[in-house]
Amino acid sequence: MATAMPTPATIDYAGGTLAREQVSLWRDGIRRLRRNKLALGAAIYLGFLALVCLVSIFWTPYKPNVIGTCETYQLPSAAHPLGCDDLGRDSLSRLMVGSQVSLSVGLATAIIVLGVGVVVGLIAGYFRGAADAIVSLGINIFYGVPPLLVAVALYVLLGSGLINIIIAISATVWMDMARLARGQALSIREREFIEAARAGGARWGKILFGHILPNALGPIIVQATFVIPVAILTAAFLSFLGFGVPPPKADWGGMANEGLPSLQGGFDPYILLFPALALSITLLAFNFFGDGLRDAFDPRQKR
Amino acid sequence: MLTRGTLIYIGQRLVLIVFTVVVVSFGVFAVVHSLPGNAFVSDRVHGQALQILLHEYGLDLPIPLQYWNWVKGIVLHGSLGVSLYIRGLPITPLVLRELSVSAMLGGSALIVTIGLGITFGVLAAVRQNSWVDYLLTSIAVVGYSVPSFVIASLGILIFGQWLNNLTQGALYYPEPWSGTYGSLAELSLPAIALGFYTSGQITRITRAAMLDVIQQDYIRTARAKGLQNRVVVIRHALRNALVPVTSILGPTVISIITGSVVIENIFGIPGLGKEFVESIFQHDYNVTVGVFTIYAILIGFANLAVDLVYTVIDPRIRY
Repeated sequence: MATAMPTPATIDYAGGTLAREQVSLWRDGIRRLRRNKLALGAAIYLGFLALVCLVSIFWTPYKPNVIGTCETYQLPSAAHPLGCDDLGRDSLSRLMVGSQVSLSVGLATAIIVLGVGVVVGLIAGYFRGAADAIVSLGINIFYGVPPLLVAVALYVLLGSGLINIIIAISATVWMDMARLARGQALSIREREFIEAARAGGARWGKILFGHILPNALGPIIVQATFVIPVAILTAAFLSFLGFGVPPPKADWGGMANEGLPSLQGGFDPYILLFPALALSITLLAFNFFGDGLRDAFDPRQKR
Repeated sequence: MLTRGTLIYIGQRLVLIVFTVVVVSFGVFAVVHSLPGNAFVSDRVHGQALQILLHEYGLDLPIPLQYWNWVKGIVLHGSLGVSLYIRGLPITPLVLRELSVSAMLGGSALIVTIGLGITFGVLAAVRQNSWVDYLLTSIAVVGYSVPSFVIASLGILIFGQWLNNLTQGALYYPEPWSGTYGSLAELSLPAIALGFYTSGQITRITRAAMLDVIQQDYIRTARAKGLQNRVVVIRHALRNALVPVTSILGPTVISIITGSVVIENIFGIPGLGKEFVESIFQHDYNVTVGVFTIYAILIGFANLAVDLVYTVIDPRIRY
């Protein structure tokens, strides 16, 4: 009677361990992520981009906003690897600085959406009733308008600062996260451990954030990584249309916009091509990384 | 087909559409009318003259009252108001013409997106884990990662310049459009640039759905009956694989509308999206609100249409 039951992880059969060692969900996920070559490559690129972004705060080859550092429309050369733009500013320096806008918009939007979307969604899913009706109506209304136009309207209302751009974009991408959190809360609230917590006298705040949220964290984090490329893309669209950070500050969408006339005129396509390329590769990397993260942490979910 | 339940469902959705349109239009109305500056700033009118102008266009009234007058104009006269930039020009015919241009562009892009997406998805699934599969899924990922303005610029570069120089002007992509609607050749490049982005998502979902369906027993039965592979894939497998594809048609339409704003501005296409951006820069509030409202109505009906198409493709779904 006193002999302890062996746990599955330690059963030995004929000298060999059949069951593998027990690892936590997170360790397991990270292991799967590291085996995914595409996601790993994307992560390395994103690390490099973050480094470029940090360096550009302190150092760029030329001053990014000084007009006339070189000849206007100069094609790529040894002194200016990516050439110069229509005002004679060094394109490489501006490309480096432009990463600041893209990365900060992407990350800040993801954080805001994580905060707002998750809280709103959890409350709607847990309390149901009137709270759910209001939140669901809000989600439906926001799904009923083109996100880019809402962002433009908010941009015009709030003004052209970076923080206002982040707020405007957050307002157009929070719905998916809220819907996900609501669905998770709806299903998890029926499980026995929530009933146990309630019977034990836990308050709703403790149940929501101590019991439901940790169990819904996998899909929520995966969703958050998909918010980043969408936010970067929306920001690029905005500044391409002329609703970006105020000049002379460089950002990739705005640089592409400035390069459009010289591409259409047929004398210097590079002003547009390099920021467009940087934007595309960055979005690709975030998508690959998000896909890898989903496969690693949320194996059952398929899109 | 149209059961009582379906009709009730359609009725509920129509109520939701009306509610959404009212909330959206009032929200935008309130936002644009509370902006600093107004449409008359560039005219440098001040004091008394400005007050007279504002009064003439009803802009001195409280915003809820202005909104009420605007709604009355739509319901009683079918009029979205007059332009403030080109003073007194009725907006409705202008916006309707631009809507038809945008609809033609969006419709073409939708055909490109669905055609490309489903073809690529089916080919990738049928040749799973071959180089065809890898190539097509890579194109799909690139598709939804590369912004539409990048595709559009590359198109202009390749067709408008390189091929133009190469063929000495025989293959030339003209821009901006010569007329209101543009020829088929002029339409092709913007439609592809617009449709390529969403085709990536459709490729992905079609491929996954096809892989799911192909493994099922009734497909094996169909093959065992001696049906041609083409018949099995298209008539038996694809029909069922289309159900999940339909579910993203709604977001696809929204995505095309969003993208068209950018594409119209690049190619100089006189559509709703171009008008929207111009109206913002010109403080032409009535146009901004009108375009927004039309988009909200459009998206509402697009989503409703997708839900109804669902019932046609999958008879198990009833409302």
